[in-house]
Formats: sequence, structure tokens, C-alpha cells
Amino acid sequence: MQPEVSSSPIDRLRKLRESSLGSFVPVLLALAAIWLYFGLALPLWEYWTDPDATGLRFIFLSPRNIYNLFMQSAVIATLAVGITVVLLLGEIDLSAAATAGVCAALLGVLVLAGVPGWAACLLVMAAGVVLGLAQGLLIAYVGIPSFVVTLAGLLGYQGLMQKILPTGNLNIGDPFVRAIARILIPDIWGLLLAGLLVLAMAALALRRQAERKARGLELETATTLWGQVAFFAIIVFTAVLTMNAYRSVPLLIVLLAGVTAIIGWVTTSTPFGRSIFAVGGNAESARRVGMDVKRIRAVAFGIVGLLAAIGGIFGASRYGSVSYTAFAGGSLLLESIGAAVIGGTSLFGGRGSVWNAILGALVIGSLGNGLDLTGASAADKLMFSGAILLLAVAIDALSRPAGTSAR
Amino acid sequence: MSSKELKKVGPEAPPPHLRVTGIQKRFGGVHALKGVDFEVARGEVMALVGDNGAGKSTLMKILAGALVCDGGDFFIDDSPVAINTPHDAAALGIQIVYQDLALCENLDVAANLSLGAEPVKSGWRFLPKLLRPLDDLEMEVRAKAAIDRLRVRTLNSVRAKVGGLSGGQRQAIAIARAVGAECSVVMLDEPTAALGVAQTRQVLDVVKRLRDTDHAVVYISHNMRDIFEVSDRICVLRHGANVATWKTSETTADEIVVAMTAGLDNGTNNAA
Ligand SMILES: Nc1ncnc2c1ncn2[C@@H]1O[C@H](COP(=O)(O)OP(=O)(O)OP(=O)(O)O)[C@@H](O)[C@H]1O
Ligand SMILES: [Mg+2]
Repeated sequence: MQPEVSSSPIDRLRKLRESSLGSFVPVLLALAAIWLYFGLALPLWEYWTDPDATGLRFIFLSPRNIYNLFMQSAVIATLAVGITVVLLLGEIDLSAAATAGVCAALLGVLVLAGVPGWAACLLVMAAGVVLGLAQGLLIAYVGIPSFVVTLAGLLGYQGLMQKILPTGNLNIGDPFVRAIARILIPDIWGLLLAGLLVLAMAALALRRQAERKARGLELETATTLWGQVAFFAIIVFTAVLTMNAYRSVPLLIVLLAGVTAIIGWVTTSTPFGRSIFAVGGNAESARRVGMDVKRIRAVAFGIVGLLAAIGGIFGASRYGSVSYTAFAGGSLLLESIGAAVIGGTSLFGGRGSVWNAILGALVIGSLGNGLDLTGASAADKLMFSGAILLLAVAIDALSRPAGTSAR
Repeated sequence: MSSKELKKVGPEAPPPHLRVTGIQKRFGGVHALKGVDFEVARGEVMALVGDNGAGKSTLMKILAGALVCDGGDFFIDDSPVAINTPHDAAALGIQIVYQDLALCENLDVAANLSLGAEPVKSGWRFLPKLLRPLDDLEMEVRAKAAIDRLRVRTLNSVRAKVGGLSGGQRQAIAIARAVGAECSVVMLDEPTAALGVAQTRQVLDVVKRLRDTDHAVVYISHNMRDIFEVSDRICVLRHGANVATWKTSETTADEIVVAMTAGLDNGTNNAA
């Protein structure tokens, strides 16, 4: 490949999005912009314009608020990770939030009936897989577009949730379920865990580099290599230190990171994940090299179902209750699809990452949280979220390689 | 030379490695292949020619397992085989360069070269094959070897996304994918369509090298010069049916063009 000299802004954007770290940049910039606005610009503005202000109050960037922000975004993030998997295929899932609702309701009913918490969680996760897989089978083997099937799923599962929860609300007191959101990792363990992760990442990167050298492959430049490690270290340590400054790292966040790591590993580092990207990039090519495109599609929807169930469990644990509006009836669906897309996962398939979905969820969460703090109305929040989503999709459309728009 | 039989190469034809007979294929109302016979031997280049829509690509896709035919028999070294999936074809040692290349633009060169046959790290036996860790370094090594063998000098990195490559570079990758695999039959569907003069040369050299290494090669092209340079036999299809097969040394480009466009029925051929 000749080094290309063309560098219109759009070309540069495209280049940026192609590199491995680069795909994080737009969403990180969005996050930084939102945090700077709510965290610094607004407080300063208030301080200067309000004569009786007693001092600067950085509410948004306080550890307490950031902690809450993480917890608030956790359910959105879990669903967004799942939705990312089907977006990679070029499909969409509109039923994820309703599935999460059904699973949370089921969880409530099960623990109320005396099923031990851990067993109820497992059952509910199985139920989520079944709900997702059922749609996946219709999409893959009957050939109905995913938009239609999951729209039907959205309606059907909303109804199902109301059937399970006729009152629309149920408190969950089960200690196991509540523990997921309540247990805090002791400060020192959180730091230790973060340190170990960073060390492991650095060791893996170095070993890879050594293997590359041994096999005579092109090497990563030192900047990329250490840049990646430093980037990872900064993110992990800032997150842990901030949460420690208020309370400690909650188990919920560790579980979310763990689940995302597993899905991330499956999508990027296994033959199955490779086939997801291949189908998303060119389904006919994937079929012609012998990939079972139908099975891949069906399984992907099963994965969304599983993550929706996990999201349902997280939500039930955090709120201590299950309500119709918190899941199926509320804005959860659009927020999680928005999170996945804002994270930079293409709606056209074949490009994206589950880690970006987490950052996307933080963007959505920060926006909601920040607007709440400034006393904005629900109407403002909706309009802001819409604008951000539109911006994200516009970036996606512009940074798509030229000539693939026909797909 | 009035009967079709005479056009067949005759007793001195090499024993076919891959042979198919009576291949039928319908797309809805279109009868794309009407009982086509085709064969190719090891160590020979069989050119497959015909006008646009003659059914060349369809026949190749059937041989590669990408399409399932509606009728017909397949033989490898005279024993009957079944080709229903791409895996069947790959297991029989059949590789193909598709006319549309069939690459994934969102993946890099190395990933495209091992698409569908990704190497996984050893160990990890407790995981199902589809969930074992990819050996992406091995992928890169193989990709580099395949690209080097093709001598594609314009391609610097096997980690470049295919979406950012030129048409010729993509074609080179599609060819590298086919010839990089363990195989006995290589089918190239218009492999030089997007190539410059120098790259076309390289592809023709690759085709000759494949013949010299005792592969059975099928070469589809509309370029008569290339065909006469590289092929040993020429099989002509017209409207989804065989016209005839010639030895390249015993025919001329004019004769082939007439056969492609008018067939043999109207007697023009006799004048040749
Ligand atoms: N997927 C399909 N669906 C419907 N019809 C098809 C399909 N593929 C091929 N055909 C039809 O089958 C016939 C043979 O097509 P094919 O692609 O095999 O021609 P070809 O000989 O490769 O032509 P070309 O030289 O243009 O590549 C054509 O009439 C075409 O319209
Ligand atoms: Mg063709």
C-alpha cells in the first residue's frame, strides 16, 4: 500500500477510525466534551454570573456523582454490549430492553416463590437466551428482517412482562440479587486488581511483540505499544481511584467489565467472532468460504438475549425492584442502541467494538445525569440525546469507506 | 469436422482429475446450465470461455460448492464425489478465485486470506473449535508467505484493511487466498479483469507455475491473447451448454470467437 497523500478531513477521519485505538477517539472526545461542559464550564459560568455564589461547586465531577454515573450507566452498557454484537452483523435488535424486562420480572417472581437467588439468576439467563434465540431463528432460518422480528419481539415481550407482573411493580429483597449492586470491592483490592490487569496487559503486549520479532513480522511501533498500555492504565486507574474516592469499586462494575471482556474476546479473538465480522462485512463472501451464516445470526441473537437477561439482573439488583417503566416501557432500549452507535459501532455492520459500547453508555449516562443536575426538563433530555445520536450516526456514515454505501 | 465428438481432444487427452457431467442449474425461470460436461486434468490449464451470461461463473460456483446444482455428477480421479458446500470443495482440494473476489472489506489482508480456515492456537482443547483463540500471528505469517509467492510488490502490509486497497491489489489477494491453500484444482474466474499489464503478466506466470506444480487449473477470461498464451485446452460454453473443447495448439482465436458467439450449428465453423 502506497502511503496516500490525500488528506481531506473526511479521509483523515476514516484513517483514524481504522486504527485500533482510533475507534475510541470520537467517543472519548464526546465524553470529554460532555464532562468538560457539565463539570467545568457550567460551574464556572454559574460562579461568575451569580453574585451570591459562595464558591465553586463541581457537583458533576465529584467522585460521588461519577460513582452514581457508572452505576446508572451499567444497565444501558450491558444491553449496549449485546446490541453491538448484532449491529456487527448488520442487524438490529429492538427487543433487548423488553427481554431485559421479562427477565427481571421473572427473577422477581422466582425469588418471591422461594427459588434461591443464584438459581433464579441462572434460570433467568437461560430464559434470556431462549427469548433471543427464538427471534434469531426466525431471522436466520425463516429470513424475516431483524427489524420486523424484534419489533414484534418488543411488543410481545412487553406484553409478557405485564403478564408476569400484573401490578407493574415488584420489590426484590433477595440478598443474593441485591448483593450484586451492594457489595463493594475493598479499596486496596480494587487497586490491586487494576494493577494486575495493567501488568498483565503490558506483559501480553510485550510477549506479542517478541513473538512478532521471532516470526519476522512487522513490529508495532513503540508508541503504539506503550500508548495502548498507558491508555488502558489511565482509564482503569482513573475509574478505580474515582470510585474509591467516594466508596469503592462496586461488584456490579467488575462484573460488567468481566462480561464485556468475555464478549470482547469472543468477538475479536475467536473464529466465531471473526465470522461475525465477516458476515457483517460481506455475508455472501462469508457463506462462500463455508461459514454457517444462518447459525451465526441465530447465535448472535441468543447472545443479545443473554446480555439482556444480565442487564435485567443488574437493574433489579440496583433498584431493588422491578418495574415496567424501568425496562420495557421506558427509554432503556433507545438509550442502549444509542450507546452502541455512539460508541462507534456501525449500523451497516462489520465495524465496531463492545468496549466502545461501554463508553457510549457513559456518554448517554453523562448526558442524562448532567442535564438532571442542571434541572433540565425531560423534554430537553430527549432532544439532547437525539442530537448526540444523530451526530454519532453522521460520523459513522462519513467515516465509512467510500463505495460501501450500497450495502 | 462436423460432429461434436471430433472436437473433443480424443485419446491423447490427459486423464481428467476433476470431471463433471450433465450439470443442470436453474435460477427461477432462467435455465443457466443445461447439462454441461466439463473436465480438467492435473498439470494442464483448461480455459473456459463463452459470452457474457454463458454460464461460466455459475459452473465455477457449483464446482466450488457456493451453489448447489439441480442435477449432474461429479468425479475426482474417476470416483464419484458430492459437492454441496464450500467445505466439500475445499476438502476435495478445489479452490476458486471468484469473479467478484468475495473479500470482506472490513477485515485486513491477513484475515481475508485465512477466512473460513482460521488457524487457532494449540492447546485450549476444552473449548469448542469456534471459540479457541485465533492465532493471528500465524495468520500474518501465512498471509506474508502467500503474498510473497505471488510477488505482489505493491502491497506493503498484510494488516491493511482490504477496503482501502486498489482493485488490482484486491484481485491479487483473492488469488493469493486460492493458491495459498492446499489444493489440487485452482479455478480463476476472470482474474485479470482489473489488472494492469505488469500484474496480468504476474497472474499468467502464477497460472503457469500452478500447472508446472501439477495442479489442475481452470482459467476464465475474455482475453484471447492471454488464453492462447496460457491454456492447453479451451472449453467453449454458449447459452448454458457445451459447444466443444479444443486443444489450444490446434485451433485459432477466430475459431473460438465464432464458436462463442454463433456456436457450431450453422456451419461457419467448417470453414475454419
Ligand atoms: N444468482 C443468480 N440469480 C439469477 N440468475 C442468475 C444468478 N447467477 C447467474 N444467473 C444467470 O445465469 C446466467 C449465467 O450467468 P453467469 O454469471 O454464469 O455468466 P458468465 O458466463 O459468468 O458471464 P460473464 O462473462 O458476464 O461473467 C445468466 O443468464 C445470469 O443472469
Ligand atoms: Mg462470470
